[in-house]
Amino acid sequence: MTLRISSLEVGYGKRQVVKGASLKVEKGELVGLLGSNGSGKSTLIKTIAGINSQTSGSITWNDGTDLTKLSRRDLAKIVAYVPQSIGLSFGLDIREAVLLGRTPYFGTKPRDEDWAHVEAAMQRMGLDELGDRSVTELSGGQGQRVLIARALAQDPEILLLDEPTSALDIRYQWQTLEVARDVTRKNNVAAIIAIHDLNQAARFTDRVIFLQDGVVIANGRPADVYSPDLIKRVYGVDVELSVHKGFVQVHPLSERDHSRLGLNATTPDIGHLRRPAEQRDRVTA
Amino acid sequence: MSSVHSDPLPSRPAARPRPAHDKYTTQKLAIALGIAAVIAAALAGIQIGTSGATLIDVLQTFWAKITGTVPTDRASLLMHNVIWELRLPRVLLAILGGAALAIAGTLFQGLLRNPLVSPYTLGIAPAAAFGASLAIVVFGATAGSAAISLVIGALIFSFLNTALVLSLASTRNLHATTLILVGIALSQLFGALTACIQYFAEDEVLAAIVRWTWGSVNNSAWYQVLVLFLLLAIAFPYIRFRSSALNAIAFAGDDSAKSLGVAVSTVRLQTIAIAATLTAVTIAFTGIIGFVGLVAPHIARLVVGANHRFLIAFSAIIGALLLVISDAVGRLVITPGVIPVGIIDALVGAPIFLYLILTRQKAIE
Repeated sequence: MTLRISSLEVGYGKRQVVKGASLKVEKGELVGLLGSNGSGKSTLIKTIAGINSQTSGSITWNDGTDLTKLSRRDLAKIVAYVPQSIGLSFGLDIREAVLLGRTPYFGTKPRDEDWAHVEAAMQRMGLDELGDRSVTELSGGQGQRVLIARALAQDPEILLLDEPTSALDIRYQWQTLEVARDVTRKNNVAAIIAIHDLNQAARFTDRVIFLQDGVVIANGRPADVYSPDLIKRVYGVDVELSVHKGFVQVHPLSERDHSRLGLNATTPDIGHLRRPAEQRDRVTA
Repeated sequence: MSSVHSDPLPSRPAARPRPAHDKYTTQKLAIALGIAAVIAAALAGIQIGTSGATLIDVLQTFWAKITGTVPTDRASLLMHNVIWELRLPRVLLAILGGAALAIAGTLFQGLLRNPLVSPYTLGIAPAAAFGASLAIVVFGATAGSAAISLVIGALIFSFLNTALVLSLASTRNLHATTLILVGIALSQLFGALTACIQYFAEDEVLAAIVRWTWGSVNNSAWYQVLVLFLLLAIAFPYIRFRSSALNAIAFAGDDSAKSLGVAVSTVRLQTIAIAATLTAVTIAFTGIIGFVGLVAPHIARLVVGANHRFLIAFSAIIGALLLVISDAVGRLVITPGVIPVGIIDALVGAPIFLYLILTRQKAIE
């Protein structure tokens, strides 16, 4: 069971945003989508979710189903999308907000089966005690849990999370990521998460894909892929890498750090995470 | 949060009995009681008026009309005619008009995800006012024969406005903000055009225009009741059928609604067209009745919650109640004079609305 994207091109009007991206995600795998603002992460995710449509290229699931040819409703039964938390003007109660995830499955009146999925998703996200509260009363972290519960109620095989942690404080970021990884494993979905924090990506994802200017420029386990070179190329930032509890960690540097703290750029590299000579020279200069 | 990690979840859970709150008992009860209240208010509203009809008279009139009998004495005949030709259409127009404006308000607020939106946000009211003003100028300020021209003038410009708004905004995928801004622009445009007419008009024409904009059910007629009834009879089942799509658009946003399988642009276009038609036809018959379309959805939301599956019906009930009661009050306070329902509904509704805003926890945020 593989989500396979080949030579995907997506654009708004004349502007191409995704320019021939190819990647695949296995079932039970959580893949981090990394890249600077405007690199095409969000557009790629929205295209898989059927929110945008592609100019060319293919998106297939399970080695055969062409996701771009499915009806909106059928696609929604396979792919679920978790947006950044959004402000709400009117409060549904939480149970009804999660029920929105069943929209592709029922007409006007939810069936018992729909409610069963809602209850299960709420329990899964630790929301069962809050069911009757209005979504407008929730904290950011709880709100994000409601959005993930909604996606789970959709009973998807592919789960897409578009920067779900951006608006959260560190505690809820951590919770959300743990939940995302948990769900990927236990519900056995193919999951893609767009994320800005490289350290969190290294900590929680199985694999990372770097997008730059709409093209995949690196793809692999964080420890294999992260390098000062790549990160400089993608974000324009000088970094050092370290390993903490078995996870690669990224530490941005600035000229000022060096002069003030008396650090020099010849800080020992860790294991295979080697900074190239040219960059060392640049920092020293 | 510990439960998040420990609960094993079967990916396809077995169906289990629904908890009581999922049966929506409160909502269904509220709707049933609401319908009863509308009927009671309507019967009371029919009795109120200068010729002092009693409930017996009302029921006798219904019976006579059903059986096709004509009363022999002059007094009963007059009474029957007053009830059938004046009171009943007036009360029914208040009920249907209130329901239509409230439904339109609910749809606009949900589709544009904005609690400040009313049926008039897209500029339908100023456009209708301009159409009516033009008709008054062309056909003269006297009512009667001119009434139908007023209706047609208002209708033409309402639809013209709606078509303009939708076609202009659809170049931007009917985004909520675009729709609202285009609506504001056209409101200003038609407002200015009407002001031009008023500026150059004779006094009696000016008075007629102003009277139209107050909004009342004084000129109600059976054909209006029938048209509005048919319109609602077609629109309501469709909107109800779309209620889960509306929920997705209103509460999840455009992108998420699309990812939930909703054809957002199509649903929004169809539903706005319906809401605009309901508004246009209603105010073509009544003039501009404010407040109810903005506030009835909020009152309804505070009582039955925001789920469109129940909200639309209950909004309609609140709108109907608000107008039928306001019309009755408007006929009572300065008997035999009549204060237009468009003035009274804000006077009656605003305190109720304030009370609900300040006392309910489920705040409108």
